[in-house]
Amino acid sequence: MAATLSRGSSNGHQTQREIERTGRAGGRPNRTENCTGCSTVACQTSPPVTDPVVVSDLRKVFKVPVRDAGVRASMRSLVKREHRDVVAVDDISFRLRPGEIVGFLGPNGAGKTTTIKMLSGLLHADGGDAHVLGHRPWLRSKDLLSRIALVMGQRNNLQWDLPAADSFELNRAVYQIPDGDFRRRKDTYAELLDVAALVNKPVRNLSLGERMKMEIVGALLHGPEVLFLDEPTIGLDVTMQKRLRQFILDYNRTDGATVLLTSHYMADVVALARRVIVIHHGSILYDGALAGLADRFAATKTIRVTAPDLPTDVTGLGILVERTPDKLVLEVERSRVAEVTSRLLSMSTVSDLSIDDPPIDDVIDRVFTAEDAP
Amino acid sequence: MRDYYVAASRIGFQRDIQYRGATFTNILGFMIEPAIYLVVWRTVAIEQGGAVGGYSVDDFTAYYIVWTLVRVMNLAHAPYAWEWRIRGGRLNEMLSIPVQPFHRDFAYFIGGKFVWILMWIPVAIVLTLTFQPRLDPQPVHIAGFLVAIWTGFAVRFLLLYLMGMITFWTTRGQAIFDLIVAGELLLSGRLVPLSLMPSWVQSVSNWLPFQWSFQFPIEVAIGRLSDVEILQGLGIQALWIAGMGLAFWRVWPRALRNYTAVGG
Amino acid sequence: MRPVGPLRLAAIHLKVAALNELQYRLNFFVQLLQSTVALAVGLIVIAVVYSHTERLGGWSQAQLLAVMGVHLLIGGIIRTFIAPNMRRLMEDVNEGTLDYALTRPADSQLMVSVRQFSIWSAIDIVMGVLVVVWAGVAVDGAVGVLGTLSFLVVILCGSVIVYSVWLAATTITFRIIRGDYVMQLLDGIYEAGRWPVTLYPTWLRLTLTFLVPLAFAVTVPAEVVAGRFDGSSPAWAIVVTAVFATGSRVIWQRGIRQYAGASA
Repeated sequence: MAATLSRGSSNGHQTQREIERTGRAGGRPNRTENCTGCSTVACQTSPPVTDPVVVSDLRKVFKVPVRDAGVRASMRSLVKREHRDVVAVDDISFRLRPGEIVGFLGPNGAGKTTTIKMLSGLLHADGGDAHVLGHRPWLRSKDLLSRIALVMGQRNNLQWDLPAADSFELNRAVYQIPDGDFRRRKDTYAELLDVAALVNKPVRNLSLGERMKMEIVGALLHGPEVLFLDEPTIGLDVTMQKRLRQFILDYNRTDGATVLLTSHYMADVVALARRVIVIHHGSILYDGALAGLADRFAATKTIRVTAPDLPTDVTGLGILVERTPDKLVLEVERSRVAEVTSRLLSMSTVSDLSIDDPPIDDVIDRVFTAEDAP
Repeated sequence: MRDYYVAASRIGFQRDIQYRGATFTNILGFMIEPAIYLVVWRTVAIEQGGAVGGYSVDDFTAYYIVWTLVRVMNLAHAPYAWEWRIRGGRLNEMLSIPVQPFHRDFAYFIGGKFVWILMWIPVAIVLTLTFQPRLDPQPVHIAGFLVAIWTGFAVRFLLLYLMGMITFWTTRGQAIFDLIVAGELLLSGRLVPLSLMPSWVQSVSNWLPFQWSFQFPIEVAIGRLSDVEILQGLGIQALWIAGMGLAFWRVWPRALRNYTAVGG
Repeated sequence: MRPVGPLRLAAIHLKVAALNELQYRLNFFVQLLQSTVALAVGLIVIAVVYSHTERLGGWSQAQLLAVMGVHLLIGGIIRTFIAPNMRRLMEDVNEGTLDYALTRPADSQLMVSVRQFSIWSAIDIVMGVLVVVWAGVAVDGAVGVLGTLSFLVVILCGSVIVYSVWLAATTITFRIIRGDYVMQLLDGIYEAGRWPVTLYPTWLRLTLTFLVPLAFAVTVPAEVVAGRFDGSSPAWAIVVTAVFATGSRVIWQRGIRQYAGASA
């Protein structure tokens, strides 16, 4: 089985389909057998299919035309075109484990979108390699495209002027989704996202939130195993965002899909991803648990102390963030946390004390601004 | 694939019905050219005593009225649209699904055709009442016509689609398109029925695909071709379809390679 | 601050547009190619028509050349000055960005009419003038000073008429989604002006005289050049111009009031 799977193609896919047709409940069949000590040539030349997304030394370079302002320069540029190489993705490597939800963080221009485009087959890599479900994405095999989904926050995959139901029917034909699965998924997802009553309204008449949810339903009808979500909650209100996050979590749980999520909203990442990959200037700065992000990048911790007799002068302890008659919030260098804490305890009758990492947003912010500083 | 074509054609049909105002205005716009040349050539024929170059006044009338249907049938995916599609990121969306853009475009157009044919009917009625053509086609002509308009559509669709591929190699494709479209204007029988052109022009035109989308279906309908000529024409259409289809099959992966090297 | 005078306003925008487009020298060559090809096709068609007849509806070949020249000239004026503004107006209405243009201290109709220019389309104007001159020379009978003056008057009237019609049509279709199809329809109708209006059946001739007065925009100036000068034509042209200019202004004011009311 391992040897056939290492081709990563339709064989595995068919198995998947058969299982769905016989109505076996629950998540995906276990196609994630470790290719341990396998000695066949096939196994050695292609990456083990254990991990649905494998990226090694991936590189993308763009040629950007260079031109000064002014008439003379533009005339010069007609004759001689000058280009500058911009490295958008700089030899990055990572793997996603099956069923993982990974947050992909980085400021604009960091290389997130370029990486996602390479992983979904829209861009050819200039160096290194990537495999999604065993395929090189930019070869755009039909099998691969039928098993992944790319949902970008502001793009429309649904027909604008027709009811969503019509677009769903089209998707059914595109992905050749078996009738039973199609109906089941359509009804379930629409129900979960609370848009079941809206499938017959033209998409342009839906609100932004409703449209986004409809797009998600449409994107998941074919049961993709790998999901690339780019800013999925952008433009939605808070309740909608929460709903959508819960839905993604549920989908991940029941279908075992692997999700690569980029978002500007830390709340998205915090709610969904246990692991984050931080990318900046095309390189990976951090790849690990979300919880560890603060440890790695935050320079301070926030100490909140409640006491009736707090010291009035806190110089030398840390930066004052907030003070009320009986509460004090300080930002303290990590290395001095123990020292400051014991001093506070000795200085006042503390009734409550908490030590927290700074908000993730601030941490991330600091990461990027620190990198930009000379 | 058949499923897909059915589903996508349906969507194309619904879309054009949805925007019937815009679709109808669009169709009307396309009807102006044949109406103009109908008048011009009829006038020429009348001035010359009833006939010119083998076409009588009635022949011209029939020619250009059938022309209007043929025109509606051979509207295809404009090569100019590719630039907009690439710039606007639309192409990325189309490349994210396991169906080639060609099939999507072709299917959408096929669906739309049915709407356009419906909208053409009132135009045809007005033209017929105004100009009173005389048309008595034989069954073989009608049958041949029904095939020829669809094959003619396929020919033109492939031609324009291939032209559109130029956009993947240069942003100045527009100039090339203009040249080719100008050639089509003159060499397809649109502005001037080909037999009214000097014979060297007709010879050149015989080697080009243009007349097989325009003049050929028209002449089948108005009964100017013998049965043998109709079959020959259909055969030549088939050759063009096969040839251009093959060319596209080779060009598309290269075009895509160009695109994915730089992205949208 | 004193509101800027209309002429100065137009001049400023023109200069900005010119500076903008002058950067793209390549567009000049592209436009030159396009215009040359279009001109060539037009000339070829006329040549073919006149290879079969001496006169078309009473017009000689040289006279028809005059029609083509004027059509090109006015077409150039449309493409350079009128259409870009109308397109921008349509966009602004669709995206709700018209308020920006309306809150300037100048007449709103003026503002939306002088914002955008397509500089390189002026090539068509130049070519049109050249063809008109060529036709004027080819026609038997000198045009003379009076004729030239009348021509200039009538061309100016024609431009204003066309502007009024385009503005009125754009304003009326403010609300329609996909209103840009109307622009295409207008362009299509304008094609009918390529041939003298006298060729068309009566009902069409009347439409093209009073509804979309291509008769006054194109045929009349051509008549002046072609020596089919009927002394009363310029007078009629002025009258029609006044009617259309006033009418379009009324339509504009109504449209703007509705728009302002709608987006409040």
